[in-house]
Amino acid sequence: MSYIKDVRPETMMVEGNWAVGYYRYKAPRLLEEFVSGLKDKKLVGSLCLGCGKVIVPPRNICGRCHRRMEERRVVSDWGTITCFVYTPPVKRGKYVLFGLDAVEQGVFKEGEIVIPCFARFDGSDSNVATLLLNADVNKVQIGMRVKAVWAKELKGQLSDLEGVEPLEKQG
Amino acid sequence: MRNTAIIGCGQTKHSSRRRDVNVAELAAEAAEAALLDAGLSLKEVDAIVSGNMQGFGGVAQPELWLGDWIGAPGKPAIRIATGGTTGGSVGQGALYTVASGMYDVVLAVAWEKHSDSKEAGATTGLSHVAMANLFHAVNYGLSFKALIATIAVGAAAGVASYQARFYLHRSGCGIEHLDMVAAKARRNAAKNPYAHLQWPNCQPEDIAKTEMVAYPFRYGHICPASDGASAIVVAEEKTAKRLCKKPAWLLGLASYSDEENQLQSESYGGVGVIDPSEQMGCRLSAKKAYSMAGIIDPQKEIDLAEIYQPFPSQELIFSERLGLFDDGAAWRHMEKGETDINGRMPISVSGGVNATNAIGSSALQRILEAALQIMGKAGEHQVPKKVKKAIAHGWGGLTNYVTVTVLGDSPGS
Repeated sequence: MSYIKDVRPETMMVEGNWAVGYYRYKAPRLLEEFVSGLKDKKLVGSLCLGCGKVIVPPRNICGRCHRRMEERRVVSDWGTITCFVYTPPVKRGKYVLFGLDAVEQGVFKEGEIVIPCFARFDGSDSNVATLLLNADVNKVQIGMRVKAVWAKELKGQLSDLEGVEPLEKQG
Repeated sequence: MRNTAIIGCGQTKHSSRRRDVNVAELAAEAAEAALLDAGLSLKEVDAIVSGNMQGFGGVAQPELWLGDWIGAPGKPAIRIATGGTTGGSVGQGALYTVASGMYDVVLAVAWEKHSDSKEAGATTGLSHVAMANLFHAVNYGLSFKALIATIAVGAAAGVASYQARFYLHRSGCGIEHLDMVAAKARRNAAKNPYAHLQWPNCQPEDIAKTEMVAYPFRYGHICPASDGASAIVVAEEKTAKRLCKKPAWLLGLASYSDEENQLQSESYGGVGVIDPSEQMGCRLSAKKAYSMAGIIDPQKEIDLAEIYQPFPSQELIFSERLGLFDDGAAWRHMEKGETDINGRMPISVSGGVNATNAIGSSALQRILEAALQIMGKAGEHQVPKKVKKAIAHGWGGLTNYVTVTVLGDSPGS
């Protein structure tokens, strides 16, 4: 075909800085209510008067009924695992973000298996994507009971909820 | 809607690195092939619909510079970008335009060229997409640990791994069944000269040997990132009958979105409110498209399906949501070989997205492959049975958007 040209060399690279801190994306105002609740170890959700669902974190409009969700409910910090996945044992150099290595940063230990999960807190109808901590991956089951793991120092931000852990200690 | 048909199909060879062409040349290859197949010159084309996934390859507005290459000058042109579903929306865009009576002959072109960005696969594009999703959460103190754990289970693969986990749990399907679907995709791809991951005689055991990426996905389960393009020519009845011996007629089409399937979206709402394998958008799209096509029992009336399945679990999930099998039963039918090329309900016999994923093009390829099967032009991967009605499915958006297109061997009305 006449359009096709000769093979080109590698894509050229240009080094530069990306000032990611300049972005001003805004979360809905309800997320502020949610994070300020976390400071008191409270999980705040919104109640839809149309379908009766409680959604955590709270949202303004019910996706199914398209109704304003003005009511608030504080749900339990105990819950159930509805879904989990897991990584192979973590290795240095494998998980790097913004040039920061997860092992070097002390976020994960070498050889650790990370278990991201969905937790449904009692009294809510939604899944919160979080981490399953202090658990043996071979003993994790969907439907397993868990409780929230709170940060030692509560700051009123998303990181206050570190994850969830099994109610019964796994040895 | 007036009678509308696909009369020409063109696609490029797909591979990880089409370094012999640039984006415009790649799209042109597919567009030329489609026109050649239809037996039309550009003069006879009334309008052009094109698209790729927004931001992918680091190119923001490719339609502004590749128009010349696909014959757009002097013609009305539309670009459509709906994330992973883009190709499906581009195809449906062309079908809508002709079916509405607005134009008689429309060319649809969709493409993706991952190798233009430095990082492997879709990383560059996905980081554009994910930025707005994650950065606001960082402003609200999302920990580095939570952020990196999200990335550890993969971007699109992460969404799909949760989805797969839900499906495995509720259906009783095992990881070995995912091996079977992936092996089937690679075997089928070996019969499709345009496909990317071709592996003749690939067996589930071969897939089972590959490394675990994020449970339940192994490396062998995951689609490649391909460079490639596809194009179709859509025409109204008179032109279609004049030019094409056996056109693929449009019988029905629909696209629905279901935001509650999303995990963490821009609004930090829809945090996996429901089971992400629920896919209400797919149920609704299928229901609407079938009612347009007069299909009452899809299990009996549909002869073949091209499903958008970058991950093997999705072939099973969506085949149920499209009504081809009962809830939770798809893996049992697949296990019996019913979805093979010579099976009762052949699914993604081209190898599908699991073997070839040029994202923006992938959902148009589903429409194209379904059309080829009806036209009897699929070549080595043509199914032995007669294909009277075939469906093409597209999935993507922000994991929430679905397109369903029903094609047939005779006009709808």
